[in-house]
Amino acid sequence: MANENILQRVIQVTARVLGLDPSTIKPTDNFVFDLGAESTQSVELVAAFEQEFGIEMDQDAALAVQTVGGAADFIAKYLS
Amino acid sequence: MKLVVFEDDQYDRFLPLTWVRPVGELRCGATTLTEKIARAVGSPPDALLVRDYLAPVVAARWRPTPVNDLSHLAGQEVLFVNARVHATGWNPPSERVAYWHGERLAAWRTTGDVRTIRDYAGLVAAARQAPRADFGGPWFEFIWDVMLTSPEEIARDFQAAGRTGIHGRMHESAVVFGPRERLYVAPGAEIHPFVCIDTRHGPVTIAEDCEVHPFTRIEGPCYVGRGTLLLGAKVREGCSIGPMCRVGGEVEESIIHGYSNKYHDGFLGHAYVGEWVNLGALTTNSDLKNDYTTVSVPLNGRPVDTGSTKVGSFIGDHVKTSIGTLLNTGTIIGTMAVLVATGAPLPKYIPPFAWFLNGVVTKGFGLTQLLATARTAMSRRKVEMTAEDETLLRHVFALTQKERAEYIEKGRRQLAAHR
Repeated sequence: MANENILQRVIQVTARVLGLDPSTIKPTDNFVFDLGAESTQSVELVAAFEQEFGIEMDQDAALAVQTVGGAADFIAKYLS
Repeated sequence: MKLVVFEDDQYDRFLPLTWVRPVGELRCGATTLTEKIARAVGSPPDALLVRDYLAPVVAARWRPTPVNDLSHLAGQEVLFVNARVHATGWNPPSERVAYWHGERLAAWRTTGDVRTIRDYAGLVAAARQAPRADFGGPWFEFIWDVMLTSPEEIARDFQAAGRTGIHGRMHESAVVFGPRERLYVAPGAEIHPFVCIDTRHGPVTIAEDCEVHPFTRIEGPCYVGRGTLLLGAKVREGCSIGPMCRVGGEVEESIIHGYSNKYHDGFLGHAYVGEWVNLGALTTNSDLKNDYTTVSVPLNGRPVDTGSTKVGSFIGDHVKTSIGTLLNTGTIIGTMAVLVATGAPLPKYIPPFAWFLNGVVTKGFGLTQLLATARTAMSRRKVEMTAEDETLLRHVFALTQKERAEYIEKGRRQLAAHR
């Protein structure tokens, strides 16, 4: 699965969970400082990514990911 | 004669509290089930038999009493007593007979060689060789039996302790409403102005170093354990609280183990709360159904009728609830679960170590973060999480992984369906 495809899906999920316009989300955006994610929304994001991609992620490692692009790379590793 | 207190293989009837403690360490009234057995027998236990994974933590608490090791009892007469025996007023058997409550060993007095018995299975195998009789005495069948029996046990424990009088400090504007001989205020305890202690319907114990803040009303029977703060609370009849708890709001006929907090307003009734629980402000549980029918509790995946109309929540150790959490009648909250309120009553079962967030069960922040939070909470009370404590929690996490994964998967499907 191409990484660009993964990135776009990560952006769509992020937009849905955080209530944002997906066109405003950039790969370099930090979930907390740029996109305003609360701590509980971090948990929601991880759960939503797992549901979207059909994967089970290591919770500690997943929660350490800070950016949209970082999340796409992290998920790509699981899928590969 | 030597005493061995054991737990049988139905510890799951006492969940979630027995994930991290043996059945014998459940409290009913002011004392634990093991303490009641010891009182009936007239001596403390000489050994304990518990689930293997609990042994290190239990051994540390009971040192030097051996746990899962009866080698020192060679050549002795031994009385084995199941922790589920309701020992208040019970006469230990004098005959060398194995007493059975259905298929569960209740008590066994023997001079046989017990050295190699290390667990309940081994004990049962040995006891089956002995003459058999039915155990007709009182018995704790489920966790709610312990909770429902607690109020009368508070009164019995008060009588057994034989302590009365005010030996701490009590402000002159604090009132004892009822017989004063039914009140015991221990040395170091402090009763602030405008406190009312109502002993008309039962005795009240305020243990060492407690503080009872102004406008607290305490109805007996009530036991308040060492170092507990009551913060303008309405402590209705039948509560056993502490040690080292912080309690405000309204509490009724509930048991709260040590180091738990219900600092703010909210109602807790007919509940059993483990250690290191924090109930956020306005956390409230229902203990009575609107149609006054008996309450069922989800135990091991199926609803079990308690036979009682007044049953609240059973909250495992280290649970955290957010502000405004609403709990239904007969709810079980698993060890170290985190609940975030939704504005509606939560499901009646939340598995251990799960996060209930946005109306579904999720993985939350995971075990590492939960343990870190627990260490922080414990350090605030100057208690250190030991290596045995952490190993125990990790073991329970592993034991409950499959069940939790099923609930998490169901939560994901619910989220997907709502998109």
